Amino acid sequence: MILDAKIPEGPLEDKWRNYQMHSQLINPANKKKLQVIVVGSGLSGAGAAATLAELGYEVQCFCYQDSARRAHSVAAQGGINAAKNYQHDGDSVWRMFYDTLKGGDFRSREANTYRLAELSAPLIDHFTQQGVPFAREYGGVLVNRSFGGVQVQRTFYARGQTGQQLLLAAYSQLSKMVRSKKVRMFPRHEMLDLVVVDGKAKGIIARDLVSGELKRFAADAVVLATGGYARVFRLSTLAIGCNGSAIWKAHKRGAFFAAPSFTQIHPTALPQSSEAQSKLTLMSESLRNDGRIWVPLQKDDPRVANDIPEEERDYYLERRYPSFGNLAPRDIASRAAKERIDAGFGVGRLKNAVYLDFRSAIANFGQATIKDRYGNLFAMYKKITGIDAYQEPMQISPAAHFSMGGLWVDYELMTTIPGLYAIGECNFSDHGANRLGANSLLQASVDGYFILPNTINNYLAAALKDEPVTVDHPAFQEVEAEARLHIERVLAVQGTKTVDHFHRELGKTMWQECAMSRNQAGLEKALKAIKELRTTFWSEVKVTGNSDELNTELEKALRLADFIELGILMCTDALQREESCGAHFREEFQTADGEAMRMDEQFAYVSAWAYQQGDFQLHKEKLDFEFVTPSVRSYK
Amino acid sequence: MKINPLFFRKNMMALTGLFLCLFLIVHLSANCLLLLPKETARGLYNAYSTWLRENPLIMIIAYALYLSIILHTIYALVITIRNKQAKPVKYAVNHTQENSRWASQNMGILGILVLIFIVIHLVNFWARVKLGIGEEVGYDAAGNKDIYEVTYTLFHNVYYVIFYTLLMIPLGLHLHHGLQSAFKTLGFYHKRGLILLAKVSLIYAIVVAVGFGIIPIVVYFQ
Amino acid sequence: MQLTFRIWRQEQAQAKGSFKDYKVGELTEDMSFLEALDHLNEILVLQDESVIAFEYDCREGICGQCGVFINGRAHGPHSNISTCQLHLRSFKDGDTIVVEPWRAKAFPIIKDLIVDRSAFDRIIENGAYISAKTGTAPEANAILIGKAIADRAMDAAACIGCGACVATCKNSSAALFTAAKINHLNSLPQGKLEAHQRVLDMTTQMEVEGFGHCSFTGACEVECPEGISITNIAEMNARLFKAQILG
Repeated sequence: MILDAKIPEGPLEDKWRNYQMHSQLINPANKKKLQVIVVGSGLSGAGAAATLAELGYEVQCFCYQDSARRAHSVAAQGGINAAKNYQHDGDSVWRMFYDTLKGGDFRSREANTYRLAELSAPLIDHFTQQGVPFAREYGGVLVNRSFGGVQVQRTFYARGQTGQQLLLAAYSQLSKMVRSKKVRMFPRHEMLDLVVVDGKAKGIIARDLVSGELKRFAADAVVLATGGYARVFRLSTLAIGCNGSAIWKAHKRGAFFAAPSFTQIHPTALPQSSEAQSKLTLMSESLRNDGRIWVPLQKDDPRVANDIPEEERDYYLERRYPSFGNLAPRDIASRAAKERIDAGFGVGRLKNAVYLDFRSAIANFGQATIKDRYGNLFAMYKKITGIDAYQEPMQISPAAHFSMGGLWVDYELMTTIPGLYAIGECNFSDHGANRLGANSLLQASVDGYFILPNTINNYLAAALKDEPVTVDHPAFQEVEAEARLHIERVLAVQGTKTVDHFHRELGKTMWQECAMSRNQAGLEKALKAIKELRTTFWSEVKVTGNSDELNTELEKALRLADFIELGILMCTDALQREESCGAHFREEFQTADGEAMRMDEQFAYVSAWAYQQGDFQLHKEKLDFEFVTPSVRSYK
Repeated sequence: MKINPLFFRKNMMALTGLFLCLFLIVHLSANCLLLLPKETARGLYNAYSTWLRENPLIMIIAYALYLSIILHTIYALVITIRNKQAKPVKYAVNHTQENSRWASQNMGILGILVLIFIVIHLVNFWARVKLGIGEEVGYDAAGNKDIYEVTYTLFHNVYYVIFYTLLMIPLGLHLHHGLQSAFKTLGFYHKRGLILLAKVSLIYAIVVAVGFGIIPIVVYFQ
Repeated sequence: MQLTFRIWRQEQAQAKGSFKDYKVGELTEDMSFLEALDHLNEILVLQDESVIAFEYDCREGICGQCGVFINGRAHGPHSNISTCQLHLRSFKDGDTIVVEPWRAKAFPIIKDLIVDRSAFDRIIENGAYISAKTGTAPEANAILIGKAIADRAMDAAACIGCGACVATCKNSSAALFTAAKINHLNSLPQGKLEAHQRVLDMTTQMEVEGFGHCSFTGACEVECPEGISITNIAEMNARLFKAQILG
């Protein structure tokens, strides 16, 4: 199958406009007859649901949480990028596009990435109008800060709660459309499967998480906005409920999965402190502006941090990357930490962390200045660890964070199943092999508010002529029966191990072999181990309770069953990509001094996987760089 | 105009409460006369009482006062019923003292105590003077009704002294929370003003409680 | 360390609930309170018992989904944190911890420690938005907002909707939640046009949902994970007063 990204003609600057000019329109009276299902209520889902409803479509929106306001977009701290050039520092759409493309190590499409930058400015206008209390100067204009190693200030923020404020604005707009009865909201409903009729997405089967009832929902198009899947590592910065089940089920029904192995590991999270740990809390990356990262020079040094003299400390980032030092990009900082920890120099009770030390910053600027800059983060650190970071260094550790990969989508954000769209983090589109800081809120919002509502017409205009499909269609019966069988199978195992046990096992394997650095032998070992885990899961998992009640164990088990399969695909993808790029670092492909070696000749493509009876078939979407020339990232 | 019942009820509580607070100030200032030497106090106090009884404006205010007490009580009841409905099940363990003042959590109980006090206080004075119930009230040398004598006799009963003094504690607590709460209910939200209000409420409550509480003791020892 | 959890178990909304004691060992001080419950649930699964239903999602204090009454306090013994930010080091070895669901008529119990907070969503639906459609926005810097106003709006907007204010309030009043949202939007120029209707509609919905009156005990601002000031309620009262006269 030839993957057609449907990139519009013309120069980069004109592509989106050209697309809009030539896309089909639907008259308002007809829009009322069209139903759209949106799964997920985060920034992209809520934005899409609200905007589609405003346009006149009948929308049904689903989330597994108790309210749309809980979606994990809420947790993004830092900010949202936009090429407004308010700071008069030479920013432009082109520069932002280039930074994003380069940050992603040239593994995303030029046209998509350019559109992301292009629509960033109107997005800030939109959120301001919706009442987001962005930070302001005394004169009343919006403030910007720099973020994630770019040289301009283009990040807009609302304290350390930007994601929350954007999400709440989207939730407000969604609530407005719920009140006007154009959106029907289904909280505490989890999508179990996709219903495809005659090759087109026509509905979903969802489980009411309170009653356990399986319900059928039909529509003319289905939009997945279900977020990232980094919980495949179990320990991640994601919410506990985040899962990959909706996109995985869609994948099994025919949607291609692109670049599944591209997962970003964030360098500054809090380390795991016990086996029982469920979550790794992110500490804002901004701490690296003043904190110095080090480990002891001596292995298993028994002394506490403050007793280790200066000359016995290894400031490994400053040593390896003298020009960027502690501000090296996320993937590089994470990898360097892992290297030290694996070599036995880790600190903390479980020897799984590195120090982030503010001693010299406090000595230079005084504690008051540091408190002013990071007071809330130091307070949060103390809340979680009980340690006063003004007195002793913080302990940090890399943690799984963002999925650049996801369902393959074309320029219209449609997957390979006609009528099925994927927006926000759950698709693969704009970030390539590595995402820049403050670009995730941007992509989710732009997809949901601006792109999808403009592209979905093209499909729905034709769908108007289709025979309407109702939930009585045999396809719904069939898929519902399969979903029911799947649940019954999970409940019937009645083995001796908990769901969490298997999740921990999966997480360990994935973290060891398919996270910051990967190699052939390790990935092959991981593939074997995960396949074995899949077998033992289906023979030894134990889930108590029934399917016709609120059953959190059952929810977890169903999600994990999909994560296990997704893990296999991630390792498969990582194994096939014999190069190092962005977050994907293959140990076999590095320079003499340990830097990534990208192989543009062979691997300048998006890997898109088709599901085939438990196996995966690779399709390649070649990436053509018409407007820029891929360069080598260097942070030395 | 759309009236929100939750707010209307609380506003009524606040307005009647504030009116009663104002009344207490006037009442207390007059009662300070009782702290003077016995015969001086008798003359002034009785003259003042007569003036009060005969002033038509005061008569209107008196009715407003009765109405305020009644409305304050009725709305307290209505509000409490609604509040109980809103929280039908109580917590098995609830450490309210760790997040709020005891008085603010128990305005109802304090209010009942204050109401009991008011009823007895009215029976002691108002019923005798105004309605002529109970022992007849005599006249002083100036020909005014000798209210001072009523007070003097009452506060020479040690049980009444204890009752009148002790019940000023719940009154003070009720006022301390009630005064600031009333202002907030009515929409006073000025940041520094609220800090000041908290102080004023405390001083007000202490002055009223101590002021009223000390009079029976002083009179007892006269 | 070892702890005894005395947990409210209730099969479903209509069922009669009761406390049940669980003695749990092999806990460490670093564990969060919710991780201890995870751990307990794993034990229950292996004992073939149904797990305790409780809510959580982000586990970093921002989504607002977690929230239980722990030893007589909403979100546990500390002020201004959410349940997921509570760690076992706040307890002593051998302690008994009483865990109850939020109690309020407007928050009916769904199962065990899970309550239905959709009343909050309905309050939001009744006006907590700016009626502007996507694609109609003017240039962002065309709307100038002073820093002080933006900061105050942000203070109010920080609400995570966890329901601790209602839970801890002796009257189950939703005044702090409602006020925070009203003040966020009504204080910004973008929200001014619909200000009166917003405050009227949202407070009406608050009444319809069965929440109680605000007595200004101040418990809500102490338990609020975001430390939202109770002054917001007074401000809402002023706004409502104005709206009732002008609206």
